[in-house]
Amino acid sequence: MLLIFLLLLPVAGVVHFMSGHLDIGFGDLVNSLFNFDETNTQQLIAREVRIPRMFTALIAGAGLSVAGLLMQTLFNNPLAGPYVLGINSGASLFVAFSIMTGIPFLSSDLGIITNALIGALIFGLIISLFSELVRSQISLLLIGIMLGSFTSAIVSLLEVSSDASELKVFTLWALGSLSRIEFDQIPLISVVFILGIVGSLFLIKPLNLLVLGQNQARLLGLNYKRTRFVIIAITAILTGLITAFCGPIAFVGLAVPNLVRILLKSQHHGLLIVSSAFIGGIFVLLCDALIQSLENYMVIPINVLTSIIGAPIVVLLILRKLR
Amino acid sequence: MIALKNIRIGYSDGLLHAENIELKSGTVYILVGKNGAGKSTFLKTLSKQIPVLSGEIDINGTSIGNITARELPKEMSYVPVHFPHMDYVRSREFISAGRAPYTNALGRLNEIDENEIQSAISTLGVEHLSDRFTSELSDGERQLVAIAKAVAQKTSIILLDEPTAFLDYSNKKKVLGILKQTAEQLDKCIILSAHDIDLCLDFASYFLIVDAETKELKLLQDPSKEEIIKVAFD
Repeated sequence: MLLIFLLLLPVAGVVHFMSGHLDIGFGDLVNSLFNFDETNTQQLIAREVRIPRMFTALIAGAGLSVAGLLMQTLFNNPLAGPYVLGINSGASLFVAFSIMTGIPFLSSDLGIITNALIGALIFGLIISLFSELVRSQISLLLIGIMLGSFTSAIVSLLEVSSDASELKVFTLWALGSLSRIEFDQIPLISVVFILGIVGSLFLIKPLNLLVLGQNQARLLGLNYKRTRFVIIAITAILTGLITAFCGPIAFVGLAVPNLVRILLKSQHHGLLIVSSAFIGGIFVLLCDALIQSLENYMVIPINVLTSIIGAPIVVLLILRKLR
Repeated sequence: MIALKNIRIGYSDGLLHAENIELKSGTVYILVGKNGAGKSTFLKTLSKQIPVLSGEIDINGTSIGNITARELPKEMSYVPVHFPHMDYVRSREFISAGRAPYTNALGRLNEIDENEIQSAISTLGVEHLSDRFTSELSDGERQLVAIAKAVAQKTSIILLDEPTAFLDYSNKKKVLGILKQTAEQLDKCIILSAHDIDLCLDFASYFLIVDAETKELKLLQDPSKEEIIKVAFD
């Protein structure tokens, strides 16, 4: 199964690369990377537009799916995810602050990333604090949704009091976009992304134990509080990074890990982390390929498409659970 | 071996107390008491899930307070009353979790771990269940798998919270028989709470009874059914 995912990923990458409305060949892709000619329009578009966008789709899908998987296992709840639990909202709130305060550093790329990471981490810690207080899985989801509502209210307040240009920047950000990353930013983002994924691979043993429930995991020697903090921190890194660049993207983190579990029929987290990253990457690449091929007819923000596809999948999952 | 030294346990106000009691290896102890008398609390205190209010508990000669959360799972395993609900976990994987206290940070099982898992599976006779998902097992089968995990953990002490609660008569007998055999053959100290007094009398000689009147935990050897009922329920 893992081999199929491995083979599907480059296919999805190529489909994505070819899906823009200007015809660009595979040769231009290779040349733009290894033999770049600035005067060649095809190569220029490949390097400045297509490759960064493909890269963004890949890390957004992979990162959010792994973050969703970590949340679901930590809270022992298949309906958990960075979006549902309000971790995206934390990042959004802090990005709103950074864009709309008008302070130049805060609205720079670095300012936005830092704020998104801090926001995601703070809201991750808030939700884990609540998880100590409530016993039921549903209550925690409701608290996550309330955190989301609360932050959108604050964001609306900020919007009312900000000027037109700031409002425009924020509104565009909030629609979600995969075309904001530039070629030169790829190395830095890759480092943070790889840090998050490798970090999660070091959590395989604690995650496998958490499947048995928090109490059983503790009785088998797991340091629960420390593990929870590390999981939240890694989720915050992945979610914050992606939210900072792409805006909020819903349902990927919720739907993909569930699909992976159903496909693999396993709870082994080594397998689940790698597969979620692959399937998540493939899913967002294909969603974005669809968006690009429809661009001549209508503009669909990525967040809208993932919600249109993701929401019914989640409803199906709930029905499957309740049966 | 477990030594209870003048302990008081429970939540803030104290549920029950015990004077000096020694529980030795190779023996099954049946914990009996009214609902709410503190049986589960006692087992949770022994497994350090809640602290002792006063007095001392020694596990194999070391005070429980000095045993770290990392070391305790090598001394003692705990089987909760409810089997965890999990999708897509095969029995063998669940039993393997018993080796977690011994594996490295990545959780890789070595040859010793594999042997212990295999030996726990044979001891409990659950070879036919090992490739099945735990969510598809019957209550009786799950209980055997849960005990197999505790055996794979290779601890000198096994605590079980009402292991016979959801089982039919034949499975109750089977589980109690296996626990007795495990205690004797593998030289373990097994403490289990139960309400099936008649049945337990056939399998064990030692009873830990919570006195309904004084809230004192008493150790009785070869008590009669009447004696148990008198102390625990009258």
